[in-house]
Amino acid sequence: MGIARFIIRRLIFMVFLVVGVTIIIFFMINVIGDPIELLMAERPGITQEVIDNIKSYYHLDRSFAEQYLYWLWNVLHLDFGLSITYNLPVGGMLISWGWETVKIQVPAILISFLLSIVLAVTAATRQYTKTDFTVMSSALLGRSMPGFFLGILLILIFSYWLGIFPSYGAHSTRNMLMNSALLDSLWHMVLPVMMLSCFNTATLTLLIRSNMVDVLRQDFIIAARASGLKNSRVVYGHALKNAIIPALTYLAILFGLMLGTAPVTETVFSWPGLGFLYISAIQQLDYPVIMGETLIITLMLVMANLLTDIAYVFIDPRIRLE
Amino acid sequence: MRKMTSANENTQDFSGSSLPRQRRHGMWRLGWQRFKRNKTGILGLSLVSVVFFFGIFGPSLAPYAPDDQTAMLEYRSKSPPSWKNLLGTDRMGYDIASRVMYGARTALLVGVGSMLVASIFGILIGGFSGFAGGMSDELLMRFTEFFLVIPVFVVILVMVRIFGIAVVGTVFEKIPYLNLSCIVIILGVFGWPPIARIGRAEFLKLKEMEFVEAARCLGAGRMNIIFRHILPNALPSLIVIIALGVGQSILLEAMISFLGFGDPKAISWGQLLFFNYEFLKIAPWASIAPGMGIFIAVLGFNLLADGLTDAFNPRLKE
Amino acid sequence: MTATTTQTDLLLHVTGLQIHFFTGAGIVKAVDRVDFGLKPGETLGLVGESGSGKTISSLALLKLIPRPGKILAGRIIFENEDLIPKKESEMIKVRGKKIAMVFQNPAFSLNPIYSIGEQLGEILMWHEKLNKKEANEKTAEFLNLVGITDPVGRLKQFPHELSGGMKQRVCIARALLCNPSLVLADEPTTNLDVTIQAQILELLSSLKKRFNMAMILVTHDLGVVANMADRITVMYAGRICESATAKIIFENPAHPYTMALLQTIPRVDKSYTGLGAKRLTVVPGRIPNLIHPPSGCRFHPRCSEAEKGCSQAIPDLKAIEDGHFVSCWRR
Repeated sequence: MGIARFIIRRLIFMVFLVVGVTIIIFFMINVIGDPIELLMAERPGITQEVIDNIKSYYHLDRSFAEQYLYWLWNVLHLDFGLSITYNLPVGGMLISWGWETVKIQVPAILISFLLSIVLAVTAATRQYTKTDFTVMSSALLGRSMPGFFLGILLILIFSYWLGIFPSYGAHSTRNMLMNSALLDSLWHMVLPVMMLSCFNTATLTLLIRSNMVDVLRQDFIIAARASGLKNSRVVYGHALKNAIIPALTYLAILFGLMLGTAPVTETVFSWPGLGFLYISAIQQLDYPVIMGETLIITLMLVMANLLTDIAYVFIDPRIRLE
Repeated sequence: MRKMTSANENTQDFSGSSLPRQRRHGMWRLGWQRFKRNKTGILGLSLVSVVFFFGIFGPSLAPYAPDDQTAMLEYRSKSPPSWKNLLGTDRMGYDIASRVMYGARTALLVGVGSMLVASIFGILIGGFSGFAGGMSDELLMRFTEFFLVIPVFVVILVMVRIFGIAVVGTVFEKIPYLNLSCIVIILGVFGWPPIARIGRAEFLKLKEMEFVEAARCLGAGRMNIIFRHILPNALPSLIVIIALGVGQSILLEAMISFLGFGDPKAISWGQLLFFNYEFLKIAPWASIAPGMGIFIAVLGFNLLADGLTDAFNPRLKE
Repeated sequence: MTATTTQTDLLLHVTGLQIHFFTGAGIVKAVDRVDFGLKPGETLGLVGESGSGKTISSLALLKLIPRPGKILAGRIIFENEDLIPKKESEMIKVRGKKIAMVFQNPAFSLNPIYSIGEQLGEILMWHEKLNKKEANEKTAEFLNLVGITDPVGRLKQFPHELSGGMKQRVCIARALLCNPSLVLADEPTTNLDVTIQAQILELLSSLKKRFNMAMILVTHDLGVVANMADRITVMYAGRICESATAKIIFENPAHPYTMALLQTIPRVDKSYTGLGAKRLTVVPGRIPNLIHPPSGCRFHPRCSEAEKGCSQAIPDLKAIEDGHFVSCWRR
């Protein structure tokens, strides 16, 4: 079947991509010089024993290619190595820190999508009115607002001045909100999710609204009305369904941007996620973490793209024939 | 053949350039007329002009030198906006207004600089791919897709850090603003795929058009066709994506600096945020001002790009 | 006494219909006090150039005038009820069920992401309260009726898998699903190949007889209405020029515009090439600007018989003989 072959082709490309990125990062790290010397230079307190451990563990006496292959081999066995800074298995770190990142990224993209649909339909069905103008202008502004500046403003307003939400972290260190871990987490998630949703909602709203306006002008919409269908059915069942299809591929791109700029997002809120970890890893030159994270992030991005490609094939009947 | 057509003065230049040149002037003038009517475009242009104004004249207009710490000596550091310091002072006693003005210059250097690099690569590669087609085109498309799927920002961070380490102890370390220039080049290198994509699409579309065929019939060579015929007509779309790219680069540099990977000696809005974020509660104006600077610059270029798109590809209004 | 027919038991009777479009450039007077009507089972040909207001007039019957258009005046009496004051919730019961429409471009009249079965079945499930199985059965029945092969298989197909002619047949089936008493066909054959045009017209004709439906055939092509229409109403720039039976229009046209239109029809028995050839005639001039229409009779700038009085006032539609109405100062 055409779909199966399509998926397999994409998967192969995916593998090449992920491997390619990790090779590039590995190459970059090693090309600047001997990692051990760098470590010694950056962290003078390091003992010889630690250095020997690292040398043997990471096979640093071998060539670059062999080192990389050792790493890749381990990864395929789900062994990501040990963090130099934390001395913890990287795999476990990726999961716990990764979960925190997912906690804000996934709700953000879902909320953005739903909100943008509501806004876009409202604006498109009231084209040229004040409502339309308001939605469009807000979206244009929201699209250009630097995410991290918005985060800073949110903290300033809602945390410092109004005191409604916490300004940093994913969990309260002392008293949990209403003594519930769940509520406490959600309470901390609000501002970061708001910050992440802004840009996505703005771009999606503009895109879907534009598509809706085009679709609503089409003959088949008038034909649907002429057949006596209700307005809500025509707008949502017929028009919106057509308008949303191009927005789906865009979702993957947006998710990629969000994930890619996670370091910035998480720095603003001191959020203990992959992005935050990445920055400290880069600064500390914690190679196993850097390599592991690059792999995971690239993998997540590629999966998001693949999923939307597949979804597209299923939703748009015109594509199936290829 | 040439002798026969020399009777008509207009066709003496056998590259057929008399025809497209008329088209070209008409296209730009028409585009400008449409642009003038577009409110978002005009707003974008004004904002961008403001940024350029401060970029060029900022250092002369700034009331204080960027590293002037007299406020600290007068116990005026971390003070809110006042008549002495229009936007307040930060924790080191620097005048924020002056630093923000200097920041405009850095932002523009980064934006325009990186886009220059990106455009050269992007137009060359994209144009060649679109024009030549075939295997090279396929290769290019895979390449562009690669750049679209990888976590660009994260890779940039690694590269900046690596570069920072690599130059330690070498002769390069002494070069002023080396870190900043490095960022500019890296942003340029990562900025070319979108331009290449548009360039390729435009070249593909335009090379099939009749006026290209006409030029070919009149004896125009391949180089001539590309530079005098196709490229000018591809420019509007390219300008749009480049304008967007300038805004994006400014934003990216701000993010890189905010995380602490920027050039500490350069005064950029991102750097200002990096320095002053810790003191957000005490001196919020120190963070708000540079943040607004970034916002206005990005907004300006985005709206400008929108206006230009509408001007050159008008959507039919009923 | 009504303007266009002499009988009062009409299926549809439109009087004084006035529709204006309030655009940024000005007020477009698209339909300016228009009267027409038809009896049950009759076919009315609504003929005119693009911009004459014929399509808008037919959309008005379904109260589907797009923004920024508004119905300013008039009455649309359908089955003895005036449609104009009806609310949306009431019009929904009329559309598709009592009055149905077939559109100009079959390629764009069907929703590309739904299968044929889904799109047509939806209408049956909504109007006739059928369940999915019953709807599919009835849809297949109608697909067969309009001459589509393998009707059951087609239910699962999507619009892009069908040819232009087949798509239009599907659209016709869609219009007939709930057995409407009036079908509006807006240029149903304009976007089809010439070879298919005849088939579709033939199909419409036979279905019309079979279900005893009235039909308003909107077109710019007099050739299309020649065989199909019982009565023909000619429109120009938002007003009615002439209205009569098809026979009278073709044999004894009264309005200068109608006569000019008839002359533009290429004829098989005339020669347009070679020695002694006649040229294809055109009506000189262009359709007027509807924001600032010509004063008086709207056709006078292009009329070969125009006099001074023609630009002073708009002529009324008056009967020059039984069932033959003309709006012209010279008649």
